[in-house]
Amino acid sequence: MQCVTHEAILKAGRYSDVHLEDGEAEIAKRLYRFMLRLRMCEEALAREYHPADEMRCPVHFCVGQEAVPAALSLLMRDEDYLYCHHRSHGYFLAKGSPMEALFAELYGKSTGANAGLAGSQDISYAQRRFYSGAILAGATAIAAGTALALQMGRTGLVSVAGFGESATDEGIFWETINYAALAKLPIVFVCENNNYSVFSPQLKRTLLDNISERVATFGMVAKPIFGNDAMLVHRTLRDAVERARTGEGPTFVEAYTYRWSGHYGPASDDLVGYRAAEDLEAWKRNCPIELLGQALRSRGLLSETDSKTWTKEYEQEVALCFRFAKSSPFPDKPDWKSLNLSNATPQADKLLVDLDVAEFDAHQESVQAKGY
Amino acid sequence: MNPKGAPRVAPQTAVAPAHPETSFADALRQGMNQAMEMDRGVILVGQLVDYAPGVFGSTTGLAERFGTDRVRDFPVSESAMTSLGIGAAIAGMRPVLVHHRLDFMLYSIDAIVNWLSLWRFKSNGKSSAPVTIRAIVGRGWGQGPQHSKSLHAWFAHIPGIKVAMPATAFDAKGLLLESIFGEDPVIMIEHRSLFGLKDAVPEVPYRVRFGRAALRREGSDVSLVAAGVMVPFALRVAAQLSEEGVSADVVDLRTIAPLDTGAVLKSVEKTGRLAVFDPTWGSFGMAAEVVARVSERLGRRLRADPLRICHPDSHTPMSSALETLYYPQETDAVKKIRSLVS
Repeated sequence: MQCVTHEAILKAGRYSDVHLEDGEAEIAKRLYRFMLRLRMCEEALAREYHPADEMRCPVHFCVGQEAVPAALSLLMRDEDYLYCHHRSHGYFLAKGSPMEALFAELYGKSTGANAGLAGSQDISYAQRRFYSGAILAGATAIAAGTALALQMGRTGLVSVAGFGESATDEGIFWETINYAALAKLPIVFVCENNNYSVFSPQLKRTLLDNISERVATFGMVAKPIFGNDAMLVHRTLRDAVERARTGEGPTFVEAYTYRWSGHYGPASDDLVGYRAAEDLEAWKRNCPIELLGQALRSRGLLSETDSKTWTKEYEQEVALCFRFAKSSPFPDKPDWKSLNLSNATPQADKLLVDLDVAEFDAHQESVQAKGY
Repeated sequence: MNPKGAPRVAPQTAVAPAHPETSFADALRQGMNQAMEMDRGVILVGQLVDYAPGVFGSTTGLAERFGTDRVRDFPVSESAMTSLGIGAAIAGMRPVLVHHRLDFMLYSIDAIVNWLSLWRFKSNGKSSAPVTIRAIVGRGWGQGPQHSKSLHAWFAHIPGIKVAMPATAFDAKGLLLESIFGEDPVIMIEHRSLFGLKDAVPEVPYRVRFGRAALRREGSDVSLVAAGVMVPFALRVAAQLSEEGVSADVVDLRTIAPLDTGAVLKSVEKTGRLAVFDPTWGSFGMAAEVVARVSERLGRRLRADPLRICHPDSHTPMSSALETLYYPQETDAVKKIRSLVS
């Protein structure tokens, strides 16, 4: 297994291996456009977050981590399922969920993806089979359950779990890796290793930074890669998705990347002193958008006009999304019960007979029989 | 009429006579078998479910009939097991998970509380996870503190989860089927000492609805409200009380989330006295909830202080001598209730 670590990436300096294989020009352009759109969406949200304070929920921005969602956006079918962590916006868009529903959700509006019930870190868009959650590793196991259903239904569909490396600190993560390998589930695990659980670096939490190696010992294919090379990420995930689709089983992809913003919110949390300023600068020099942009430009695939056109397009889209979110109404007072439980039982109505009986003999000896 | 002469109440809905006598465990097996026949999306997941003894007889023969894909043994990974059930349900399946002891299920408390219970809520009703979790609770024969906890109140406390506590074979089957084909997550608390109990169980796939208590016995002096293993206990207590001229209503809650407050109030309105039988610790529990709901509505009309018959606020001892002191005894309960009435 090729060894990748955060230390090795920093040591190597500016990354220069982005390359395009035959027939990848269109893919490269689409990846670039997705990443640009996501970056502009995130930066606009970050600018608006404070001091307006109209988005009153924790938001974990994914600036710097655009490559994985970009690759997934090209590889996943509408019917595939995607589960991810709290840094959710890239995945939300990767599944084709509408940006205005994201914005309205952050504003707590009735037109939000979840009508203001979930916010950024719990957002879902079931119509596109996209789900997220903030309790780290939980969703990886849920994604595996969906993979089980897809496998049993012989659907040829896949389930993808996106998470950070901190999720691998949890026991349930390893239970899931074990079972996915054992049952050969059609799932792709994609770990965005950004090195930090809030402030705490990986090597403060585990003796070794060898997650992929550990996963491989469960009998699962594991691929650690430099995660800001969108082409490499795309190729690796493409093979992983293909393996899952064709019944060859799960793959674990560990994409090394870095978050530019603080753990949450738009402000930097670097004052805490948990990471070196030069590390952040080094990673910014390895910006996934810029790395791919340069590769495209050097091949004559990205012109100045393209950049301007797309930038303008996304500026307009973002502006429309803000207008939509801000002008949408807040939710009315809900019926709390029906928010939490279903009002109807259509399946039971169809399949089961209504019978009842109150008769019961309480004086049977077996009641007091051996408990075990 | 049963041997001790306790009067029986008429069935609430007519049931054709002469249903086969079936044990609680066999009723569960029968319900599961029918659910799997009716819907290919129904799967059973749990440790050892595909071995001949099954889960105390409640799963026997299912693996042979439906295959080990649908009757799926699982590693000792309860946490992942519950989450897998959630993920399968989101994709349209109807998974049934079973734990030989509820205590092991606690590994999956994150999956239940942080994911399963709020899945419908946080998607604004766009996605749901109808997972049925069977949790078996041990009692007696030295089960001790890690094999005997009935934590139904924990789960009933959480929005978005239904909690069933069947006391009869009839209800075990009907509630299992209702859970599997309902749209909400259900935790079904099954008291192991009920598994051998028999009653008439119709062969058709029928439902027992959530939030509908059953009046198991009619009386006028005191309302005995119970769930799960405490239902037959309360009925025997009621039989003893009747020999002393005290007549008791026995309300079997059947499900505690939702809880049939109306049935309890109706009974207590009539009797003016309340004793709640809860097979666990008293503090912050189901019995406390019933007493609270009655007090809020009928507090000034109660003719005696409400009573809780529960376990002491202590973990369960192993020694049989201590078990006798720990678990409520019928004669004690009779004495306490008698003092409410006199």
